[in-house]
Amino acid sequence: METILNTNVEIKVGFKLNGLLYEKSIPANWTLLQLLRDGLGYYGTKCGCEIGECGACTVLLNGQAINSCLVLAPQIEGAEIWTIEGVADSINSLHPVQRIFIEYDAVHCGFCTPGMIMSTIALLLENSSPDENTIKTALAGNLCRCTGYVQIIEAVKKLSGIITEKDLEKFRYSE
Amino acid sequence: MTMIRVTAYENPKSIEEATTFLAKDTYVPIAGGTDVILELRNGMPVKLLDINNLKLNHVTSNKDNIEIGAACTHTQLASNPIVSQFVPLVGIAAGKVGSKQIRNRGTIGGNIVNASPCADTIPALLIYDAELVLLSKKGRRIARLDEFITSPYATIKRNDELLHSIICKKNNKTGYSYLKLGRRQAVNISRMTISVALDIDDDNAVIDACISAGSVFPVPSRMKDLEKFLRGEKIKPKLFKEAGKLAVDLMIKHSGYRWSTPYKEPVLAGLIERALMQASKGIVQDN
Repeated sequence: METILNTNVEIKVGFKLNGLLYEKSIPANWTLLQLLRDGLGYYGTKCGCEIGECGACTVLLNGQAINSCLVLAPQIEGAEIWTIEGVADSINSLHPVQRIFIEYDAVHCGFCTPGMIMSTIALLLENSSPDENTIKTALAGNLCRCTGYVQIIEAVKKLSGIITEKDLEKFRYSE
Repeated sequence: MTMIRVTAYENPKSIEEATTFLAKDTYVPIAGGTDVILELRNGMPVKLLDINNLKLNHVTSNKDNIEIGAACTHTQLASNPIVSQFVPLVGIAAGKVGSKQIRNRGTIGGNIVNASPCADTIPALLIYDAELVLLSKKGRRIARLDEFITSPYATIKRNDELLHSIICKKNNKTGYSYLKLGRRQAVNISRMTISVALDIDDDNAVIDACISAGSVFPVPSRMKDLEKFLRGEKIKPKLFKEAGKLAVDLMIKHSGYRWSTPYKEPVLAGLIERALMQASKGIVQDN
């Protein structure tokens, strides 16, 4: 009986991750976070609270920031996902958001950084020159337990003068 | 972390297909999943019915009503022009749910069906006498939102029913206020929410008042006795202070004297006073 109860159905999903098409058969009980880390080996997306409060697992889903711990993997059928691994075009050319985070010491222990960067990109997609309040609202769902918020906010502020449409276009979602 | 157990996952493309599944077996409908996935972590095996492909994310307006699709996300409602014009409190409340990530995913239908005493959008919807459209193989049924939630996390929705949409009555008032109190500005579970819509005439007398509260009563509710008390009265600071006291009496009458009451008494009185003050000035408040 117990074995029957433990049987999770497998679902076939097709999706785009960091610009590449995937088709995979996955257990229907997996979250997107599990699919990314355990299924595909993308460990850049962090697993923090798993209840949608810390934002460490933030990724872009169809151009919007979401907690990947609160999305069931079968629900990403046809979706476009970007994780921290897809942000830089190559290992030798960091994305402006990454460069400015380093320049402004916005990275302390680093655990919140992938989530912070994905939330920042989602914000810039909506508003390329956000004011401080808009930045705080956009990043409110990302906790930094080193409490390095000042540097993070300063870094995002700095980006408004630097970021170009070319830096953002690959993340834009069009149905 | 307890394992989520999913024994079936269906992804219907039409309402007809979805209600057929619901009639056949017990499925848990899932849209954004921001509440459902947390519940699944208790390890109970479930059959899931994904309702994201039923096109339930519409906002439409006719002469008297606004219809909101159950799968509209909070982000969508917070920036929808029809919502901000005709049911502004709903848009403000949606914009205060959780974090950006939660608002992008969580839906208004989920907020209602989850039936938490502290749900952010329900008190706002109550101001507009919201009604819920429930669909099943047996047909269409309309339930009043103020009769839909029977106790914390329990509703009259049958397992074979799907929440299709929410119908809000347009009620143009002269002023509105929505106050949410939490431990911090964002990503918090509301400690208390107050929604107020006031209609004031040229002589500064209250023509009509609609007031609702979350986390004050066992289920989010309108405060009809308080509304009655205000109707016809001339606006003055003393009136709002008295209204605050009356709200506290109503809370104790309906929720009993609980461990949290000594905290909630002055807080509720203060929030009611502030919300009425703001609404009397005609401002749609953003705290």
